[in-house]
Amino acid sequence: MLTDQNWVLSVGVFLPLAGVLVMMFIPKSDELLVKFVGLLAALATLGIGIYTLAEFDYGQAEKLQFAVNTSWIDVIHSRYIVGLDGLSLPLYILSMVITVLVMIYSWNHVPSPGNPKAFYMLMLVLQVGMAGTFVAQDLVLFFVFFEIVLLPMYFMIGVWGGENRQYASLKFFLYTMFGSAFMLVAFLALFFKTGGTTFSMTQLADLVQQKYAEGGLTSTTMNLIFAGMALGFAVKVPMFPFHTWLPDAHTQAPTQGSVILAAILLKLGTYGFVRIALPILPQAAKVFAPWIGLLSVIGIIYGAWCCLAQTDMKRLIAFSSVAHMGFVMLGISTLTSYGINAAMFGMVAHGLITGMLFFVAGSVKDRYHTLEIKRLSGMLKQVPKLGWIMGFAAMASLGLPGLAGFWGEFPAILSAFEPAKGNVDLAIGPLSVNLYRTFMIIASIGTVFAAGYLLWLYQRTAFGTPTAEFAGLGADADDQDDHAHGAHDAHEGAEDTGHADGHHEKLHDVGIFEWIAWAPMLAAIVFFGVYPQAMFKVFDPAVSLISKKFGG
Amino acid sequence: MIAAADVTPTWYLLLAAALFAIGCTGVLVRRNPLVMFMCIELMLNAVNLSFVAFSRTYLDIKGQTTVFFVLVVAAAEVVVGLGIVVAILRRRPSANADDIAELKG
Amino acid sequence: MHLLLSPMQQTDKLISPSVNWGSLTPLLVLLGAGLVLLVGAALSARGWAKGLYATLTAAAAVAAGVLQFVLWNSTVHHGPKSLVGEALVVDGPSLFIGISICAALLLAALVTDDYLRREDIDSPEVYGLYLMAALGGLVMAASNDLIVLFLGLEVLSIALYVLAASHRKRIESQEAGLKYFILGGFSSAFFLYGVALVYGATGTTRLRGPESIKTALALTVETDKHRALLVVGVALLLVGLAFKVAAVPFHSWTPDVYQGAPTPVTGFMASAAKAAAFGALLRSVVLSMPELRDDWRPAIWVLAILTLVIGSTLAVVQTNVKRMLAYSSISHAGFILVGIEAAAHGGESGDRGIASVLFYVLTYAVLVSGTFAVSTLVGRSGDGAHGLDSYRGLGRQRPVLALALAVFLLAQAGVPLTSGFVAKFSVITAAADASSYAIAIIAMLAAVIGAFLYLRIIVSMFLEDGDAEGERVSIPFGTGAAIGISVAFTLVVGFFPGWLLELARDAATRLY
Repeated sequence: MLTDQNWVLSVGVFLPLAGVLVMMFIPKSDELLVKFVGLLAALATLGIGIYTLAEFDYGQAEKLQFAVNTSWIDVIHSRYIVGLDGLSLPLYILSMVITVLVMIYSWNHVPSPGNPKAFYMLMLVLQVGMAGTFVAQDLVLFFVFFEIVLLPMYFMIGVWGGENRQYASLKFFLYTMFGSAFMLVAFLALFFKTGGTTFSMTQLADLVQQKYAEGGLTSTTMNLIFAGMALGFAVKVPMFPFHTWLPDAHTQAPTQGSVILAAILLKLGTYGFVRIALPILPQAAKVFAPWIGLLSVIGIIYGAWCCLAQTDMKRLIAFSSVAHMGFVMLGISTLTSYGINAAMFGMVAHGLITGMLFFVAGSVKDRYHTLEIKRLSGMLKQVPKLGWIMGFAAMASLGLPGLAGFWGEFPAILSAFEPAKGNVDLAIGPLSVNLYRTFMIIASIGTVFAAGYLLWLYQRTAFGTPTAEFAGLGADADDQDDHAHGAHDAHEGAEDTGHADGHHEKLHDVGIFEWIAWAPMLAAIVFFGVYPQAMFKVFDPAVSLISKKFGG
Repeated sequence: MIAAADVTPTWYLLLAAALFAIGCTGVLVRRNPLVMFMCIELMLNAVNLSFVAFSRTYLDIKGQTTVFFVLVVAAAEVVVGLGIVVAILRRRPSANADDIAELKG
Repeated sequence: MHLLLSPMQQTDKLISPSVNWGSLTPLLVLLGAGLVLLVGAALSARGWAKGLYATLTAAAAVAAGVLQFVLWNSTVHHGPKSLVGEALVVDGPSLFIGISICAALLLAALVTDDYLRREDIDSPEVYGLYLMAALGGLVMAASNDLIVLFLGLEVLSIALYVLAASHRKRIESQEAGLKYFILGGFSSAFFLYGVALVYGATGTTRLRGPESIKTALALTVETDKHRALLVVGVALLLVGLAFKVAAVPFHSWTPDVYQGAPTPVTGFMASAAKAAAFGALLRSVVLSMPELRDDWRPAIWVLAILTLVIGSTLAVVQTNVKRMLAYSSISHAGFILVGIEAAAHGGESGDRGIASVLFYVLTYAVLVSGTFAVSTLVGRSGDGAHGLDSYRGLGRQRPVLALALAVFLLAQAGVPLTSGFVAKFSVITAAADASSYAIAIIAMLAAVIGAFLYLRIIVSMFLEDGDAEGERVSIPFGTGAAIGISVAFTLVVGFFPGWLLELARDAATRLY
């Protein structure tokens, strides 16, 4: 039975704002209380999320549940329509989980220049935007949430980022806004060309087919509208050649920003493709699919090559994101149930794994004050637990069977073997099998590269003996007093960003807050690796609904 | 002899257009604020001339009354303009649009 | 020969037009307050108590605004009407723009009081001029006759020339006044010549209603022989108004004048004068010459695109914040022109265009008033500290003020949940509805370029190290109140835009 508890999603989305309001009245100096309230708000939101998870009717995962459809801004025909189906659910929950984990991690890792109040508030606002994007079923509402995400992330990178933070944050903001510009015009064009009465996604999808059948909507128009949307989403994904903001943003962002960026923000783009572009404009999607596929495999190979050339660990992980999102987009571009399922899985898996890698990178930076690969060595000797976790995440990232990464990558490649066959009813022809098989071969070469750069990274940083610079600073077995270190970290973060003084304090291994923040992610990576069906069965009904349009 | 000796309203309109163009060129070319004022006045009076000419062709009084409005407005403008020039001259002996370079552009 | 006698021959006694004083009250309030201020200040030997001038001005602005609301209600019940022998009208757009101007006047009065005290200038006439300028603006927005429109334009402009030059201690201010005066007079002459030619082609200067330009144009056969005259006339009208709204390529005065004028006056110019000029553009061309739209719409199209692109790109290379805001106001004018272009299509999408223009004008008037209010404070004594450096570290020194400016700037950039976003959205929607996709995309891209500029200011407030130079920025009560009102309006409209959009929609459909 479909649940009709229509408060669930609205509360789930906007609850963090209550936290923000409370935090406004807490003095900035009371850092502990600020963090506590922030975390509490995020936990409460997650609680709602878990409730959603429990109440969700998995038997009808293709239907929108907890749906609300009330008037919002009547004059512009935009309605407040939210709903959750199998496509949104995992991403919606993921956004909540990641926010909580990032907040736990921030407990004693507030990056320079401090000010946890503002930092926690931004994370909560970010959470509103992310969760809202995944449940919005009205194009204007979607756009608003999609754009809200920009600002907190801009400030997060701009204020708490590295040395080049201004450049990186501006680039991030402008690139994404550039994409959104086309996206908005495309949405409006869709609305007016179809003569819609609301911006509801489902209504517009029906209208497009109706108008197309009547001849009121030419395929050129549909292609142009699709191109506009695709541009907006592609910048966010990011697809080659719109990816150049990503390495800069990731490198300069604080650890928390990188994690959220990798885990959730990039998914907004791919989610947009699956949720909006494909179902509403299937004919145009078929026309563009080969090009998307082409850009995806270029992204896979290009990302991998760039990884091999990186000297900075964070930048390397950032480029690996380009490659991984290439796999996701390749899966989507096949327009088959198999491919889109793989892509959806890949989104979540990439969120967990790359998020984890960025966490590790952040902790490495905390300890060594550098991420230069050639200066790091012998982590397994000095900080063995951190080293092992990094190894684990790297293995997951390269797609080792039995871990979550595998189920995103391997089926995506496999799906290219047999792309969508087409659907006569909607006048959609088949995709070129030969072309996609070529993509498949190139993409599989990409996995080899992926193994290469990740293992090479791991070998250079974790194996071997520590470099002279850091020799003799390794963590002792009994050196586990985290509170002391936590305080030390916060103190130190404020005054130095480098190591110019040549003085290093002792390196300590994974601390308690890091454990709490990471353990759920590590567990999830294993769980979904061993039992991917848990997630596939949530996606599949909704994905089948979309892929049916393409005959797959 | 020239046949078109009778002066039609078109002649006045052309004259007005010529005066307007002269005034316009003057504003663009000259740099002395006072001369620029005079050129603007010339433009306004060219407009007055065309109002009167049109008024005459339509045998309608409205165009002619408009001229009075324009004259009053022009007078008000001159008062304000000269006031500003005087204020500037008090602080700076020669007022010239090129000297006014505190603001670029 | 009988020309001058003819009206007399028809009637033997003087017939005065029906005036309808009740509907004139907003204008009368502003006029009365202005006269009281000027005369009263001149007669009293030692001047009035400090703050009284500003209070009177603000009260007049509020009163005029409230009266327009009352008139609004009466148009809802009795429909729009014309006054003073069809010279003025009371209808949706005129009231909407009138209220925008009154809002701008209120905010300007609040800011100016503190400004004059800080700069140690005793100038009651400044307020008188504000009131006159607002009066002119209201007349422009409500005029139904090109001559009346011209008079309103001149009342507004002449007051603004003096206002721009009103800071007697700063030579830049007087130079700004002179520049504005020369270019303003120049553009007025163009406008007036346009009026003359349109009169020549149609035989009337009335805009809508019986025996008007609109009805004359509907009889195409009659006007066809004067078509060339008409088109040149409309072109000249557009040139004149494009000067006033600061559309490229007639924008060159804007940066200099905005930079040189006293900052509160700049805010008033950017809000009230722009609102009035767009009201005039709507009235004189868009609403009155729909039959001729194939001739003038391409011109608007070109103006809009040039204004958007050049305004936002040139804004980026500036280092003086007032100049930046000047160019940004040019690019906003471009956005409004996008709405005008959509309005030019007529029909339902035309209404949408008019509504978007009205909405944009009001929200931008409040936004820009707030922005320049902050800029007034940051300018510090002497009104000279407008470099980007002066904003550095403001986030640390005055976090609330910096936050307010951030809200204004983000709204101007079009970030969701601010009024600026809704304004941009409605303009783009109107353009999309009118199938002007090219212009919609260019507008959005210009917004992205513009965002860079606003972020630059935000960056220097919050992200850059180092402290602001010079004295600590003080926040007096009046200016603080003006900023507070503007922020509240920006956010409320951003979160709940429905009611205002509906009002604008109503206004657009309730035409005389």
